[in-house]
Amino acid sequence: MTNDLRIGPHGRDDDVTRTLRDIYASPDDPAFWDALEARILARVVAEGDAWWLPFQEWMRAGLVAAGIIVAAAALTLAQLHTDSRREAMQSVIETPRTLAHQMATETSPLPDREATLRLVTAP
Amino acid sequence: MQTTAIARRMRPVYPPPAEPDRREHERSLVIEAQGGSRDAFAALVRLHQVRAFAVARAITLTREDAEDAVQDAFLHAYRALDRFRPDQPFGAWLNRIVANAALDIGRRRKVRDADQLPETVATPFRDPAADAELRARLEDGLSRLTGRQRAVIVLHDVQGYTHGEIGGMLSIPEGTARSDLHHARAALRRMLGDMWSTEP
Repeated sequence: MTNDLRIGPHGRDDDVTRTLRDIYASPDDPAFWDALEARILARVVAEGDAWWLPFQEWMRAGLVAAGIIVAAAALTLAQLHTDSRREAMQSVIETPRTLAHQMATETSPLPDREATLRLVTAP
Repeated sequence: MQTTAIARRMRPVYPPPAEPDRREHERSLVIEAQGGSRDAFAALVRLHQVRAFAVARAITLTREDAEDAVQDAFLHAYRALDRFRPDQPFGAWLNRIVANAALDIGRRRKVRDADQLPETVATPFRDPAADAELRARLEDGLSRLTGRQRAVIVLHDVQGYTHGEIGGMLSIPEGTARSDLHHARAALRRMLGDMWSTEP
């Protein structure tokens, strides 16, 4: 036991120690301990072998697995979306232009009037 | 008669250190309990409930909360018994669980009523009014400390645990337990300050 409380001056530590011990004294009555033991054991019997406890472990593992699956699915979807966009862009870039489009967009050494005429008469 | 009552109150709140025989007995009880024997677990409860209650009481504000913490802790220990190594001291393992359960209850309960404690046994040479005032002020001061501060001051100064043992129970380094004790004492001293303004 340590009596060195150093809380109160003028030798009052003994008072503090004595009062603290009094406040925190464990009950002397054996009936208290019998009752506490009975309550502990009753809870152990009622809740100690709870059938859902193993399932709680499985549930935790299941939640983690589900989280991983959802994350993987989201990544796959995002990847597919990116691929399809890239393919669409690629197809636009690589599609050969129609003659009319080519004539309309390319600069021509011909005078403007002839170019317009060719555009109008083009099939 | 009164002397006997005081002697009963002043005795250590936990059993004396375990002898080798007792340690071996405890180990065999643990192994039996791990094998499914409820009787063996009941024997472990009987062996350790007084100390477990003292640890819980050091942390909680009321005796009822300490009882709840002890029940929670033994239930948790029962469920976790498979993971306990019987060559380790069961009491130290249990005390850690009890301290956690008590701190958990303290966190869950914001408001509590004052504990209903038995009357102080006044010694003939003391002023009962001063005793009552000191007790009331101490209880008030202790209720204002954090759960951990209250725990270190009671576990060390009242129950005699070392800083290392307290650190183990509360899952904090020994140095932290030491500094918590210093701050808790200082806080309590400040709260009792005006009581000490005159010589006793």
